[in-house]
Amino acid sequence: MNCQRIQESFLDYQDGRLTSAETAAVRDHLKTCLDCQREWAGLQEISLKLDRLPPVEPSPRLRTQFYAMLETHQREADSRSPFVLMRSRLDRFFSALLPARPVLQFALACLTLGAGLLVGARYLHPAADPETAAKIAELQGKVDSMVPLVTYSLHQQQSTSERLKTVFATLDLKPSDQRAVSDLLSALAFDPSVNVRLSALEALYPHADQPAVRSAVTASLPREPSPLVQVTMIDFLAASRDPAAFSTLDAVSRSQTYDKAVRDAARRALAQL
Amino acid sequence: MIAVRAGEIDKLGELFERHHGPLYGFFVRHTGDRTTSEDLVQLVFYRILKYRHTYRDEGRFSAWIYHLARKVTADHFRRNSIAPIAADPDDFHAVPDQAPHADEHAVAADDTARLHAALAALDPAQRELLVLARFQRLKYEEIARLFDISIGAVKVRVHRALKDLRDIYFKLSREPAA
Repeated sequence: MNCQRIQESFLDYQDGRLTSAETAAVRDHLKTCLDCQREWAGLQEISLKLDRLPPVEPSPRLRTQFYAMLETHQREADSRSPFVLMRSRLDRFFSALLPARPVLQFALACLTLGAGLLVGARYLHPAADPETAAKIAELQGKVDSMVPLVTYSLHQQQSTSERLKTVFATLDLKPSDQRAVSDLLSALAFDPSVNVRLSALEALYPHADQPAVRSAVTASLPREPSPLVQVTMIDFLAASRDPAAFSTLDAVSRSQTYDKAVRDAARRALAQL
Repeated sequence: MIAVRAGEIDKLGELFERHHGPLYGFFVRHTGDRTTSEDLVQLVFYRILKYRHTYRDEGRFSAWIYHLARKVTADHFRRNSIAPIAADPDDFHAVPDQAPHADEHAVAADDTARLHAALAALDPAQRELLVLARFQRLKYEEIARLFDISIGAVKVRVHRALKDLRDIYFKLSREPAA
């Protein structure tokens, strides 16, 4: 071994921690190396001096102060409220029950979570009470009724002329094409353009024999803002001879909120029906 | 300590009786001030009470107590914004000896005072390590855990601290007495 290795092992040599072979190697090296002999002697001397230092003792003040502090803490602990005592007991109970090591705590938490999910999935199937079920059904109905409106709103992304072209394109369709009829009714009910609504109504004439078309036009009439379209709608209903429109036409003919021309048209239609 | 943690505060008395002496020795050797050292011992036991819930029965209690002692010392030096003070050698003189061979005792007292002065002049980190290894007799493994370094590194540092202490001591020995 070289001098550095020998000197690094001096502490263990001093404490008797080296193996017999290592001890012999250090001893042999010390016999021949003056530098290491000096180093070893210096280390031994200072260690011996440190070992011989007299022990230091604290004054009685330390003990007095410590026991005074302990007594104060003890008094505070004894005078705790029952609530605090209960909490302390609970803390102790859980600290004795639960694992102290964080890894085990984590494992226990995972296990509890898993068990909770399992039990929940197995036993907790909340039965929908009638009131909730009715509300859900009502909501479902509203959502369903919104679908055509949303669909039509998407169609509104086109310009008015594009929408007119779409309406005209349906003129050549077969009466059985329900999708096209549905689009026309949506245009009649929701399109912001008077021209598009008028064109849609015109395109619906070939389908006037369908009760659904007639009732949709009847339903759209009170919501229609334009007197021109209202008059055309009334003409449509008169032409289709739909008795179901009677009450609506009657209401229009009496209501002062409608334009005079509209009321006159409604009266004419009633006469025809 | 487990009983103390569980709320049996009076059991701290037993721990005090067993550990306050060595703890006081650690502080005296490290700070060089006897009165401050008594206050710091008191502070360590106060913190044991305050933080007793955080004690984990994984290592030896003595390792935990020296962990608290190191923190208390660091707080003390920070609060006072000073490095560990150089000890007054007079503070360590033995009580005037009335016994026979008083001259020999006086020489020994001078030697002791010089060694204390050398310890006080040592780098604080080296002194702390040396005190733990040589006076408190902590195992190298325990010191390694306290300082979060390897056992080999502890041995190297202790060896270096001993060499530096020896150099300072011999330098003080060569200086003429004031």
